Amino acid sequence: MRRAQRGDGIAVSALVRELSPYIGRICGAIALDDGDDAMQEAFIAIVRNLPSLQEPAAVWGWARRIAVREAVRTAKRRPRTVALDATLPAPTGPDSAEVIDVRATLEALAPEQRVILVLRDLEGVSEAEAAALLDVAPGTVKSRLHRARAAFRRRWEA
Amino acid sequence: MSDWPVATLDPVQRLRVMAAALPGTGLVERVLDAPYDDVTAMWDDLETSVPDLDPIVRSVRILRRDGDRLRIEARQMLMPVPVQFDVELLPGWCWMQSRLYVVGMAAVPVGDDRTHYAHLEGAPWRIARLARPLMRRLVRLDVAGVERVAQERRR
Repeated sequence: MRRAQRGDGIAVSALVRELSPYIGRICGAIALDDGDDAMQEAFIAIVRNLPSLQEPAAVWGWARRIAVREAVRTAKRRPRTVALDATLPAPTGPDSAEVIDVRATLEALAPEQRVILVLRDLEGVSEAEAAALLDVAPGTVKSRLHRARAAFRRRWEA
Repeated sequence: MSDWPVATLDPVQRLRVMAAALPGTGLVERVLDAPYDDVTAMWDDLETSVPDLDPIVRSVRILRRDGDRLRIEARQMLMPVPVQFDVELLPGWCWMQSRLYVVGMAAVPVGDDRTHYAHLEGAPWRIARLARPLMRRLVRLDVAGVERVAQERRR
């Protein structure tokens, strides 16, 4: 980690590979089709700011904050086709009764709802932590999460 | 819930990240008129391919090989002593670094016959960013060399 902070290329490359599955999960779930672009932008921000990271042990939480920010920013650039509170379409296809189409459901959510769902249900972050990470009130996290989970439930029960 | 979408970085995107980490380097990308396998085959044969594509390099010798890591020694014009590089070889990826200089190469196939190729070179120090425009010009020559060598191997 210290070597990466000093600009050792092989150490930076190893750090990028180590963080990739984690950052890829966050960016993929929030930015969806633009997840790869969001991931690239997140890593560019991570490596540029790496020398200023005071506590190397905090790299995972620090990188998560950057990835969330870049993924939301990227997702917001793409125009949405479904209104925030729209009723989600029922899944179709032979396996639809058993397989929840996570991607289709996420696509129907606003990036602000998606990020809450990812933080709470994928990453296991507490509501207070999510609120601090996103710089919103805890009540906002709660209401967005409620709507996002309700959307998933509607799709599941359809 | 399962099957959450997962994003990935391809080797060219990873090299862009490395360029951001090392501001003293120059990065050039091009779609080469050569198949991916021919471009990346060069990295399996650095002793031949590097002197072929870069006229400044007189010779390359592999000193040690440990899985995807190599230690090589390059003799270059204008350099009185050989320079040793640590090399990392991964699919679509070749990274070479000494204490004074780094070289990164990345490739992604474009269809069956072409390759999205990215090449980075330069000094790994922040101050060297002043030389970035010059590095880019030099790297363009290396990219042309890579395309030429890959096409020659095809014949």
